[in-house]
Amino acid sequence: MNIAVVGTGYVGLVTGVTLSDIGHNVTCIDIDKEKVEIMKKGTSPLYEPGLSELMNKNIKQSRLFFTTNHAEGFANAEVIYIAVGTPENEDGSANLAYVEQVAKDIAQYVVQDLIVVTKSTVPVGTNHKIKTIITENLVNNIKFEVVSNPEFLKEGSAIKDSFEGDRIVIGADSSEASAIIEKINQPFGVPVFRTDVRSAEMIKYASNAFLATKISFINEISNICDRVEANVEDVAKGMGMDKRIGPDFLKAGLGYGGSCFPKDTKALIQIAGNVHYDFQLLKGVVNVNRKQQRMIIEKLLERMPDIKGKRIAVLGLSFKPNTDDMREAASIVVTNSLIDRGAEVIAYDPIAMNNAKKILAPEVEYSTSVKGAINESDAVLILTEWDEIKDIDLNFFSEMKYPLVVDGRNCFDLETMREHHIEYHSVGRPSISCQFEKTYA
Amino acid sequence: MKIAVIGTGYVGLVTGVCLAELGHHVTCIDVDQEKVEKLNSGKSPIYEEGLEELLQKNLHNEQVEFTTEYQQGLKDKQLVYLAVGTPQGEDGSADLTYIEAASRDIAEHLENDTVIVTKSTVPVGTNEYIKEIIEANLVHEVHIKIASNPEFLRQGSAVYDTFHGDRIVIGSDDEEALELLEAVNAGFNLPIVKTDLRSAEMIKYASNAFLATKISFINEMANLSEKIGANIDHVARGMGMDKRIGESFLNAGIGFGGSCFPKDTRAIISIGKEIAYDMPILENVVDVNERQRSIIVDKLLKRVYDLKGKKVAVLGLSFKPNTDDMREAPSIAVTEKLLEEGATVVAYDPVAVANAKKVLPGQVNYAESAEEAVQGADVAIILTEWKQIKEFPLTGYKERMNKALLFDGRNCFNLDQVKDSGVEYHSIGRPVIYG
Ligand SMILES: NC(=O)c1ccc[n+]([C@@H]2O[C@H](COP(=O)([O-])OP(=O)(O)OC[C@H]3O[C@@H](n4cnc5c(N)ncnc54)[C@H](O)[C@@H]3O)[C@@H](O)[C@H]2O)c1
Ligand SMILES: NC(=O)c1ccc[n+]([C@@H]2O[C@H](COP(=O)([O-])OP(=O)(O)OC[C@H]3O[C@@H](n4cnc5c(N)ncnc54)[C@H](O)[C@@H]3O)[C@@H](O)[C@H]2O)c1
Repeated sequence: MNIAVVGTGYVGLVTGVTLSDIGHNVTCIDIDKEKVEIMKKGTSPLYEPGLSELMNKNIKQSRLFFTTNHAEGFANAEVIYIAVGTPENEDGSANLAYVEQVAKDIAQYVVQDLIVVTKSTVPVGTNHKIKTIITENLVNNIKFEVVSNPEFLKEGSAIKDSFEGDRIVIGADSSEASAIIEKINQPFGVPVFRTDVRSAEMIKYASNAFLATKISFINEISNICDRVEANVEDVAKGMGMDKRIGPDFLKAGLGYGGSCFPKDTKALIQIAGNVHYDFQLLKGVVNVNRKQQRMIIEKLLERMPDIKGKRIAVLGLSFKPNTDDMREAASIVVTNSLIDRGAEVIAYDPIAMNNAKKILAPEVEYSTSVKGAINESDAVLILTEWDEIKDIDLNFFSEMKYPLVVDGRNCFDLETMREHHIEYHSVGRPSISCQFEKTYA
Repeated sequence: MKIAVIGTGYVGLVTGVCLAELGHHVTCIDVDQEKVEKLNSGKSPIYEEGLEELLQKNLHNEQVEFTTEYQQGLKDKQLVYLAVGTPQGEDGSADLTYIEAASRDIAEHLENDTVIVTKSTVPVGTNEYIKEIIEANLVHEVHIKIASNPEFLRQGSAVYDTFHGDRIVIGSDDEEALELLEAVNAGFNLPIVKTDLRSAEMIKYASNAFLATKISFINEMANLSEKIGANIDHVARGMGMDKRIGESFLNAGIGFGGSCFPKDTRAIISIGKEIAYDMPILENVVDVNERQRSIIVDKLLKRVYDLKGKKVAVLGLSFKPNTDDMREAPSIAVTEKLLEEGATVVAYDPVAVANAKKVLPGQVNYAESAEEAVQGADVAIILTEWKQIKEFPLTGYKERMNKALLFDGRNCFNLDQVKDSGVEYHSIGRPVIYG
């Protein structure tokens, strides 16, 4: 099949590359010239395990092309995927400007019958809107169908998720179009669920909103555990063994971040608001998450009420491990709040520091190693559970002036921290005090 | 091992009989004389699949016995299980009156060292409290240890769940108590989670609260899907295929009821209140559930403005299928509302009618079958998805009702089935079908 993919962010690029890998001819289109040049050389503009290798392989086999030119990209396309961003508006609703622009571009440049597939996460009803925009602006006399095919990949394991996903959802009003898209995806070997357009759009929001709910739920429980001296990890384990609950997404921590959960939950609240439905439960979820990002600062302040002039090491900046994505990362709120209170911040992240520099306050200093960040600091905050941070040599902490660690991701075993005489505060678990001579300055 | 179980409700009776089945010697103690007599004659006071057979078998083999006498019941027991009720108090917190009374009774009659095992669902910290009460009231010089062993059985499949559960949770701050309990439960061959007392107590509440959250979540999605023109069956299916979400507990309907979810969610909110911690998610879960119950009647009233003199068939009364339990069943509020609107109500339930008569308004009439209930009715409402009700064919409504108008609070039929059936069909989170 000849396929064009519009937008080469996480979703577009991974979609384009994996579709080419299962044998389709794919042209990826992006308006960002610089990005396109980089990609033509086989380099991925974003960090994603396995992505560069697959890109190179398929470029060499002449199945994968990149261009900034829509006319060129659409010339032979039998199917066009829309994978541009749908960021959040001020009021929480989804910004559809990019999607609408692509619809207009399609209307202008397509020269043969085709299927338009929406990968971007869009509110219920948007696919019909896309159809209307294209119809109204069509230059050539061709026929087309619109199909919703929401994306479920996770940043950090996007390639794996494309080949081993739990399901592919295809929403269409035309069963022929739906069958063609199913056939395109067949080589992935992932179960396909076919439904109508609106239900498909809803599935994406409902799934993300539910997972966000699961995260906020366990965070609420962890805050209770903190106060009644239970251990949230044991609680999560006991809960998760219930097959109706399942063990995933039950890790208490600093809440969810990234480009999807925060925006999709708020968008769903908006979607509901538009039809005068008050989605209270989800509002609660969003609220809990907002508070949860700040929880680690509260824990630090409880222990060290005045942090003015104190040097605080912040380990992990990206919103989750194995990605360089900084969108809605807890590190933004946390470093801002530390700096507002007059602390010096020294930050470390294995991959995301370049992106972080664009977003975090200019006062933040960066260290090239974990050890460098911890050295000389008065307290350490852990914000992202990178393996490199979880596998850290605990003596780095023991060698601090006073070993005070506040861990927002429960990276370490309580017993081990006790053995190393580290004062350790984590989420929803008993605190460990430092039974050690060093006095706290 | 020699075991006493105190309280022979759903939890105590099933626990006692199943432990006996594993080969332990079990004496069940209950203050209710009538219940004890019934049990000793081999009759189960509650409806639960497979329970009566197991009861009779183990009575016959002298593995289990029932008594009202603590002294006799506690004699020589290595473990004493507490399985009395912990109903909801006025303010939503758990009412510990029965637990306290049973603890004092134990203290008074205990003559040997033993491990006290709490099966009842109790707030965090209660196990320590139980230990204090017993120790403060002991008559004989004996030592006790305490362990938490929360119960996860589901009414309707309680015996099955006991032998096929997902996990057994045992919590204690005493290593020997943990080992003893592990040995007692070894015969079930289920995964065992060992933890401290407080975390074990929390696991029970957190699990029920999460499942309640899942139900309220899908009900909100259903209400929204209805407004937006999506189909909740499809939305739930697409969500449930995500392994991190899972397909269970994603059936939209008229909300949760029963003796556990409503009370346990409120109890955990109340635990939060005590330590000045707000739980906005769970508060909303409870609110949504309250609203969800009236949704089916709201739909009905919107469609049939005036119910005066109308005959309404109510199908299913228990809070869920396969149980005769009427605690917090939506049928209570629904029948009250229908009567208030001037309707005549004819109700059918395969098992729960006897219990229903005790809690539903006196004006409710009862039918022996779904056929009989819908005969000549103007409207039918499904409240519980009993097999007998799901399998009652749509033609049955069409042939027997004045005009086949069905409101299904449990989405028992798929929409394709309803098309061309001659039934006007309103369900939850799906388009109305004028079949
Ligand atoms: N990132 C994720 O993990 C994830 C997962 C599932 C779904 N989604 C959804 O997928 C969509 C894309 O997300 P993303 O993270 O890949 O976005 P992104 O912001 O990383 O990438 C969007 C890309 O589209 C390009 N673009 C914008 N307008 C264009 C146009 N008119 N023509 C060609 N290119 C154009 C931009 O230059 C950019 O490279 C969003 O709707 C998002 O909600 C994202
Ligand atoms: N029903 C369920 O599905 C379920 C599931 C899991 C956990 N639980 C929990 O288990 C506990 C028991 O629930 P249930 O539904 O079996 O309760 P229930 O009300 O059905 O039974 C309680 C029994 O205890 C007896 N009793 C009361 N005080 C006593 C005393 N001092 N000495 C001896 N017997 C006494 C009563 O006569 C009654 O037979 C509750 O904490 C409940 O939350 C119930």
